[in-house]
Amino acid sequence: MAEFHLEMKVNGKPIVLDVDPGLRLLDVLRDILHLTGTKEGCGEGECGACSVILNGKLVDSCLVLAPQANGQEVITIEGIAQNGELDSLQKAFLEAGAVQCGYCTPGMILAAKVLLDHNSTPSRLEISKSISGNICRCTGYTKIIQAVEIAASRIATKEGADHA
Amino acid sequence: MLDCKLYFQPESLTVALDLLAKAEKRLLPLAGGTDIVPAMSKNKLNVAGLVDLSKIQELHQIKIEGNEISLGSLCTFQEIETSHLIRTKVPLLADAAGLVGSPQIRNAGTVGGNIANASPAADTVTALIALDADVRLRSTAYARTMSLKELLCGAGKTRILPQEIITEITFKILQPGSKGGFIKLGRRKALAIARMNMALIFSVTEGRINFARVGLGAVGPNPCRSNALENTLIGQEPSDSLVEDFVMEAEREVARMLGSRPSAAYKCEAVKGIARDILSSLFSSSEMVVE
Ligand code: FES
Ligand code: FES
Repeated sequence: MAEFHLEMKVNGKPIVLDVDPGLRLLDVLRDILHLTGTKEGCGEGECGACSVILNGKLVDSCLVLAPQANGQEVITIEGIAQNGELDSLQKAFLEAGAVQCGYCTPGMILAAKVLLDHNSTPSRLEISKSISGNICRCTGYTKIIQAVEIAASRIATKEGADHA
Repeated sequence: MLDCKLYFQPESLTVALDLLAKAEKRLLPLAGGTDIVPAMSKNKLNVAGLVDLSKIQELHQIKIEGNEISLGSLCTFQEIETSHLIRTKVPLLADAAGLVGSPQIRNAGTVGGNIANASPAADTVTALIALDADVRLRSTAYARTMSLKELLCGAGKTRILPQEIITEITFKILQPGSKGGFIKLGRRKALAIARMNMALIFSVTEGRINFARVGLGAVGPNPCRSNALENTLIGQEPSDSLVEDFVMEAEREVARMLGSRPSAAYKCEAVKGIARDILSSLFSSSEMVVE
């Protein structure tokens, strides 16, 4: 079997690997790079537990072959804390009680992050839409939506302060 | 892990076509991967290897050429949904793309892949059937164009040859002032029986509908036009009673198409709901008008 020479950036770090081209991006992240925050639920694009940000867009890493990420930039849940400080979404999820078993949480937070990166004052509908590809079996979603609202309002206040 | 013995990632169409032409065993073009990757994990696809098209820039464009719109086969659903050109000139296609799967699937899945996989329920395919789209195919030796309708020949089956790649999907620009919409039932694969979709385009002159096209998906093996439903509309004045005629005909059409299949009872009933919703909302709203 011919290995594939894969070069990508993961959470800001350049990664160079020779991999079996049949590996999914999910497998490379979890089993080779040991970034186990990305979860596998259904393995077929239904649950969003494996969501990562690929070149600024949310994708299911169980549906992406590792070579497809060649030359691209990947962000996983491990990559969003800055200098040891949790991202405002991570903090808000904890405060709002939006994490129960936690299996869906990494995917949910990354989905919300893509939303807030483009739109820091989202409506409830926009929040629901942004997490519509992510299934949560525990929370009933209400607290997840609240958490995203909390994070959004903090970002808006902070942006306001920066502009003042 | 998937069994993928050969993997190529060409940066130009010429190289990709060359790989397909010279392959000794069957190579499959890979677009977004949202259908192929899970099918391979379940060992449902038997191929010797993949030709990844994602790095071929020329397949990513959306443009107007004369009186036609051309979509590069590698355009993702998200690119189609958010394209200004598509939103203004073909709002029903933007809507269909926006209703595919989940945000994650829309960011990765492509219109060309959707066609090549020939899923009975493919949303953008139903819209493109209503738009009477053509598919442009290339091989090393030639280029050819086939209507989308002719290209699809059964669930999961197409007339694309092993050495060919879909490069573009084209269709005529709609007349300004015409209206179009797309509606679907059932989003998740797990609810396969509930999947059904309809695309509708019509225009009105002097108070009467003079042009109508209806696409129906997840009723037959591939999305298809329904002449019976189109004929119900043509020559008529938009009205509540026309909506009811259309609803009755939709039920009859689905009954004809499904015969005694187990899903028939459910789908005959369900199509009435989507037919009523789409036509009455297009009659009453000022949205979804082609600019
Ligand atoms: S594990 Fe990828 S979508 Fe469920
Ligand atoms: S917290 Fe358990 S699945 Fe969401």
